[in-house]
Amino acid sequence: MKKLFFLFLFSNITSSELILEITQGTEDPYRVAIVKFDGDMDIANNLDQIIKNNLARTGEFAIFDNKDLLSIPKDENEIVFNDFKILNIDYLIIGNVLSDKSNITAEYKVFDIKRGSKVRSSTVYGIPNKNRQLAHYISDGIYEEITGIKGVASTKVLYITEDDYYKLVVADADGKNEQTLLESTEPIISPAWSPDSKKVAYVSFETGMAKVFVQDIASGKRELVIQNSTQISSPSWSPDGKFLSLTMYQDGNAEIYILNLKNRNLTRLTKHYAIDTESTWSPKGAKIMFTSGRSGSPQLYEIDLRKSNATPKRITFEGNYNAKGSYLPNNEGIVFVHRADTSFQIALKYFDESFIRPLTTSQLDESPSISPNGNVIVYAIKDEGMGLLSGVTLSGAKFRLPATEGAVREPAWSGFLR
Amino acid sequence: MFILRNKLNFLVVVIFIASCSSMNVTEENVYSADVSTVKVSSSKSENINYDSKAVFANATVYFDFDKSTLTSKSIQTLKSAVNALNDNSAIQITLSGHADERGTREYNLALGQRRAEAVSDYLTLNGISKSRITVKSYGEEKPAVYGQDEMSYSKNRRVEIN
Repeated sequence: MKKLFFLFLFSNITSSELILEITQGTEDPYRVAIVKFDGDMDIANNLDQIIKNNLARTGEFAIFDNKDLLSIPKDENEIVFNDFKILNIDYLIIGNVLSDKSNITAEYKVFDIKRGSKVRSSTVYGIPNKNRQLAHYISDGIYEEITGIKGVASTKVLYITEDDYYKLVVADADGKNEQTLLESTEPIISPAWSPDSKKVAYVSFETGMAKVFVQDIASGKRELVIQNSTQISSPSWSPDGKFLSLTMYQDGNAEIYILNLKNRNLTRLTKHYAIDTESTWSPKGAKIMFTSGRSGSPQLYEIDLRKSNATPKRITFEGNYNAKGSYLPNNEGIVFVHRADTSFQIALKYFDESFIRPLTTSQLDESPSISPNGNVIVYAIKDEGMGLLSGVTLSGAKFRLPATEGAVREPAWSGFLR
Repeated sequence: MFILRNKLNFLVVVIFIASCSSMNVTEENVYSADVSTVKVSSSKSENINYDSKAVFANATVYFDFDKSTLTSKSIQTLKSAVNALNDNSAIQITLSGHADERGTREYNLALGQRRAEAVSDYLTLNGISKSRITVKSYGEEKPAVYGQDEMSYSKNRRVEIN
């Protein structure tokens, strides 16, 4: 096994968008040679940088580019496998990109150096002037071929920014291509993607009180989901997209309800004088996890929706603050906010283990959101009053998406879009 | 409120994976979602009652971390609030609960609500009609003071009466 420690820094990208910075990679990465694509050189240069950043950010790759290689094959006939074997390279990627006014097409091939054979041949038809999206698709194809796991470069992240206005923003998973969904003079919190990633639910204070809205991303059409005089917050979609769990303050206290989005029926899920909030659905929709103060401090509880009148079962016991849980997509564990002494960290607990695994080390970490492939957790940190987004992979890599203006918080990762 | 519409991009995603002697062959179209921007501003003119503003200028009560119980100091403040409300039976009040930035946002929203409800309970137990009181929370979203120390935090764990 090769033991390597990698440190990547991309500090040359300056814009008002988020900046990618890999602070730490995994100790045993795949060694991958990515030859700059042939064809349209402007687009090829652009794709090259985006693809390398995407793969580097996963922390699972040591990337070799043209200058690191002994030979630079333009197509598969020119490959001298030995030139890559000598460098202990596991995979080689070559490709080309062709474009005219209305079309852009990229072809790429992945070679397994040890086996000396081609393992993937792919064509991606892009959209003119949307090179980033094309590069994300190629990155995900490469990632999937090598790791056997679906990539998340072509997914999106929602987050809230606070500057002169509060904004709900959607960006590519690398923090680029930011677009504003909602701009408001009042706070916006708790963004949540619908399972098909076409809509977003969130809490807006624009009426003078917290209320849950659902907004269609493409059209901007939005709706106040429940019209009454009480405060409503913490929306979470059921995996089938038919229900929204949320917190209502009908009796003056936070209780969880399930709203049927079709017939608008409300079903009450909790009844306790303590706080019950931050509900979230298990991957198949059989359970709801939530934060409750019923033990005297915030802890995570689960309710089994298949049983009638099921009693909530406490699932966290370590420490006096465990809140805002999310299930791993494979349902093998949960990620949540945990207080250790005086600092708030992101922690992971596998269901078959009796202990929790702290994933982060800053003072005020919050709002963890898991990538749809379950490999990466993006979360918010507070540093000198500024909000920043950070990421950690389950393989141990860490990266940051520092904000250049305003505070950034509450990231929410979309489902697969590709 | 107005809506900016971005122009529509298509799409269909076609992915087919054919496996020939353990090699994957794929072909796909890039999909690019359309995004519209909505702008809103506070639709409510906050219904400021200047009579009540005058009476309760700076009426704020403070709480301990993760607590919504009234301290003896808070009760002193609330006693004068009760007197003022009894003297001015026409005025309506809003109780806005707040939390410090530690802990999760939704839990803090609920905590702010509990604090505002604790103040509301005290007022109603002392003869103030519930119909005169609106209770709401801003959680940690509207701190009175910015800063990451106990001094700042203690000023943010509050209920504002106005």
